[in-house]
Amino acid sequence: MTPAGAGPDGPTGTPAATPVEKATATLASRQAELVATLVAGGPPPPGFAPGPLAAARAALLRKRAGEVARHWPLLAAGLGPTWSTMFIEWAADRPTGGGLRDGWDLARALHARTALPALGAEELAVREAEFRYDGHQAPRRRRSPALGRVGGAIAVQVAGRVRLLRPARP
Amino acid sequence: MNPPHGVGIGWRPEIAGFVAELPGLRFVEVIAESVPTAGPPPDDLVELRERGVTVVPHGVRLSLGGAEPVDPARVAHLAAVAQLLAAPLVSEHIAFVRAGGLEAGHLLPLPRSYEAVDAICANIIRAQADLPVPIALEPIAALFDWPDDELDEAAFLNEILDRTGALLLLDVANVYANARNRGTDPLALLDRLPLERVAYLHVAGGAEGGGFYHDTHTDPIGPDVLRLLAELCARHRPPAALLERDGHYPAAAELRTELDAVAAACGFPVVT
Repeated sequence: MTPAGAGPDGPTGTPAATPVEKATATLASRQAELVATLVAGGPPPPGFAPGPLAAARAALLRKRAGEVARHWPLLAAGLGPTWSTMFIEWAADRPTGGGLRDGWDLARALHARTALPALGAEELAVREAEFRYDGHQAPRRRRSPALGRVGGAIAVQVAGRVRLLRPARP
Repeated sequence: MNPPHGVGIGWRPEIAGFVAELPGLRFVEVIAESVPTAGPPPDDLVELRERGVTVVPHGVRLSLGGAEPVDPARVAHLAAVAQLLAAPLVSEHIAFVRAGGLEAGHLLPLPRSYEAVDAICANIIRAQADLPVPIALEPIAALFDWPDDELDEAAFLNEILDRTGALLLLDVANVYANARNRGTDPLALLDRLPLERVAYLHVAGGAEGGGFYHDTHTDPIGPDVLRLLAELCARHRPPAALLERDGHYPAAAELRTELDAVAAACGFPVVT
């Protein structure tokens, strides 16, 4: 763990350091503060040039969008040209849980506000039938048969094999 | 167990078929974290090994530059991959990738301070103690610098290499990117680096965007990077140069052309 003031508490738990604090801040706390700025919407650490830091933040988000699209190709394809913008807006102050979980969280969020495209709904239905995912822990493969229903799409999983029974309503 | 030599390519599952058919290939790199150590290595890598192709595990998540001690389980995995592939060396970065419980998702630069040099050297020495083979360290491309650097880049890198005895994995595209974005002269940096300690080179493509040069690994290698590669090899040619491509894979003919361009810039035999 890191000293108080730059821990993993996220955006609101990272006050801007005064010059005195900066002089005594350890490498660990300064690294933590920098990562929080780049991936969790934390305030920029003192002294860093804002332009390059913003460019790094944007580059990280683009890279993350690419990783999520590899895990969720149909979701990304369904959103088409709006995919990058949509993901980056959603992810800007959310630290990553990995490509699988990031895409899952986004798909559920879009579904909740009825903005999930049909392809994304089908992909989500298949995943929901295949894995148990509580939004906090890594998804775990289901051992008993299950249905996944999202926006009209229905997927069924029996003995680990998943099939889309009904496509989503376009 | 041959050390890397000639022109190599970063092995990725998406281009495994292409890589398998390169007739002159003697050297690839594999992302260490992608290789499972519980069972046998991926078939494609086994076939390359059987052809006598050297496979170097390239770690990306060790976080040697983190202020905390390097995770022994991650070092053990890297060591196991090296053994599994009978690798002559492994490589990692002069960077950190996580802090305060958060993953950055990318390689981040260290402050060029003595405190950071102490931290990364301690981690490198910890890793060296558990690795069966030498480690080569790669300086990264960074879009930003820390505000209170005590050392310039050459002094920072030399200090780390001298204290640890590690080899250098020099990425020509990273040297180019940093020089472009900082407005410095890449050749001035090359003049101060120990080129005789370079185990192999990396080269990759990038793109301009938002006033910065981005080392994307998803674009073709630009002429400026190839020129820098040729300049470097004219000064002191390292034993090998490896093309990194990590997405937006082009047609096979285009990748072959890039490999040939790397060979030409270095004066190595073509592998295509």
